[in-house]
Amino acid sequence: MNAIITSAVCGVIMMFSSVFVENKKTYRHIAAVLLLLLLAVNVADTYGIRLFHIDTKGMLLFDRFGYFFNSIAIASTLIYVVLTGRDIEKVGTYTAEYFVLIFFVLCGVTILSSYNTLLMLFLGIEILSIPLYILTGADKRNLKSNEAALKYFLMGSFSTGIMLMGITLIYGATGTFDIYVTPKETITGQPAIVYSLLESAGLILMMISIGFKVSAAPFHFWTPDVYDGSPGVFTSFMATIVKAAGFIAFIKLFDARADASGVEANAFTGVDWKMLFAILIVSTLLIGNITAVFQQSVKRMMAYSSIAQAGFMLFALFSLNDVAKEGLLLYAAAYSLASIGIFAIMVKMKDHTFEGYNGLSKTQPVLAATNTIFLLSLAGIPLTAGFFAKYYMLASVMKTSGYLWLVIVGVVFAAVSVYYYFRVIQAMYFKDGEATITEEVSKGFKVGIIVLAGLIILFGILPQSLLQWFYF
Amino acid sequence: MGTAQILFWSLTALALISAIMVLVSKNPVYSVLWLIVVFFAISGHYILLNAQFLAIVNLIVYAGAIMVLFLFVIMLMNLNTETEPQKSIWMKFFGVVAGGLLLSFFISFVISSADLKGKSAQLKEGEIGLIKTLGKALFNDYVIPFEIASILFLSAMVGAVVIGKKD
Repeated sequence: MNAIITSAVCGVIMMFSSVFVENKKTYRHIAAVLLLLLLAVNVADTYGIRLFHIDTKGMLLFDRFGYFFNSIAIASTLIYVVLTGRDIEKVGTYTAEYFVLIFFVLCGVTILSSYNTLLMLFLGIEILSIPLYILTGADKRNLKSNEAALKYFLMGSFSTGIMLMGITLIYGATGTFDIYVTPKETITGQPAIVYSLLESAGLILMMISIGFKVSAAPFHFWTPDVYDGSPGVFTSFMATIVKAAGFIAFIKLFDARADASGVEANAFTGVDWKMLFAILIVSTLLIGNITAVFQQSVKRMMAYSSIAQAGFMLFALFSLNDVAKEGLLLYAAAYSLASIGIFAIMVKMKDHTFEGYNGLSKTQPVLAATNTIFLLSLAGIPLTAGFFAKYYMLASVMKTSGYLWLVIVGVVFAAVSVYYYFRVIQAMYFKDGEATITEEVSKGFKVGIIVLAGLIILFGILPQSLLQWFYF
Repeated sequence: MGTAQILFWSLTALALISAIMVLVSKNPVYSVLWLIVVFFAISGHYILLNAQFLAIVNLIVYAGAIMVLFLFVIMLMNLNTETEPQKSIWMKFFGVVAGGLLLSFFISFVISSADLKGKSAQLKEGEIGLIKTLGKALFNDYVIPFEIASILFLSAMVGAVVIGKKD
């Protein structure tokens, strides 16, 4: 509860700071301090120090998993603001308001990590999405940004409609908004198959709409255009923290019904959830990876790569066991940190195509080296956080007997992803060219990005250094 | 026949006639105006069913806000001329089939329901539709979603200002 209320209050404080503070540069400092405060408050909450004593009537359920994810999300946002705060100032005139919207998105993230009823899930998804529509269209003079915002808004409201339909059907089947429902609690008097069918249909609709939010194929069509069109700094935020939050919402919803999603439990409705998720995973991996190979712009490549990474995170939803939950947290951290780093370097580049990176190692050796580490982490090379993230995901599937082929598919596509990540490394180190950056890179930025790369290597060598916080 | 019965039948007649007029009117503006009459009649029915809150909300949201939007769209797109695009016969046919199916579904639902037999109005019966009941539910069981929705609206307002204000 601490994080939800504090993040909303931080948003309001940012709003007022835009009235009373004239200097544009102060906003990011205020935001960074508020994020630190938010992180401290959330950690305090994890260890039982509650600032607010509110009876949530079972609407919200706070557990270790949610707290830990909140900490990861807030810490990633802090790193994001510290690294790219300067670029947020360049997007438009409303710098403080962008930070306000980021705080509100964080509020949505914290709700999604602790919701216990479908009502709160809906509110969380909306609080997460609506500021994002605005951030997408923040660059008002840019036609592509406008197009992306409108597209995202229209498609997003459509998927919200689908989600509401799903919630309605589940409510009709179970008579409650709670996500933890045992089938016995359903209304009696009608044959159970009717309710079971209704609930399955509702869950499939929920899967479609959250699948849209995390851009799982075949609901990914908005992703490349929106990620490409929106200002680079906000793409970074959208593709990392927000997407990870979508997965947390996803896994909470289906984890609550883990027993009911088995093949046996759904024998008479005929929905094989494992198979359904397997299809979702394979199509997401296929479309994300194969399309990413053909991209010419790094920004667009990252959009497709985020689809491909979403495919890997979907493995957690497939297996739904303890390894999967741990792995998803590690994946969220590894993927967010690496992507934030890549985007932070990308927004400094003048040319976002692969050619634009040619010869970066000569002009900016630090940026090139750290960028390499981030790319290696995304590809899942050992000694980086991405390796263990992928390892946990595949290990969780190995625990589910009978789906070895899915692991093989995952490994094959991880190998495919190496190709397009290494294209950037190749351009930076082995091609001649004059990679130009828009402005001189400050010392602070360099230190920040080296620390970020160090974190990725730390989690890659000792993943327990992150995960042990989950247990005590 | 009591007052409730007279009210019920006159409201029903009003609703049906104006609903037909919505479809029959050639001019879209008249259609929208007739639709407002339909909403008023249905709100009257809600009051007869002792659901005052629903009646008021129906008036404010549908007859007020949504209808103004409708009128704006019609006026902005300059549709108030009596030119209606010719629809194919198949479209009309399937429209009739779909509408007829929906109607037969509703009728069979009403006929088969034991609770609804021979009832037209439920004045002063039950309190589920009263504002008092709603307020109690909203501020007891659903107070957390209710309060958190305010963050949603606040973010939407900030967003509207960011998008809408001139640079």
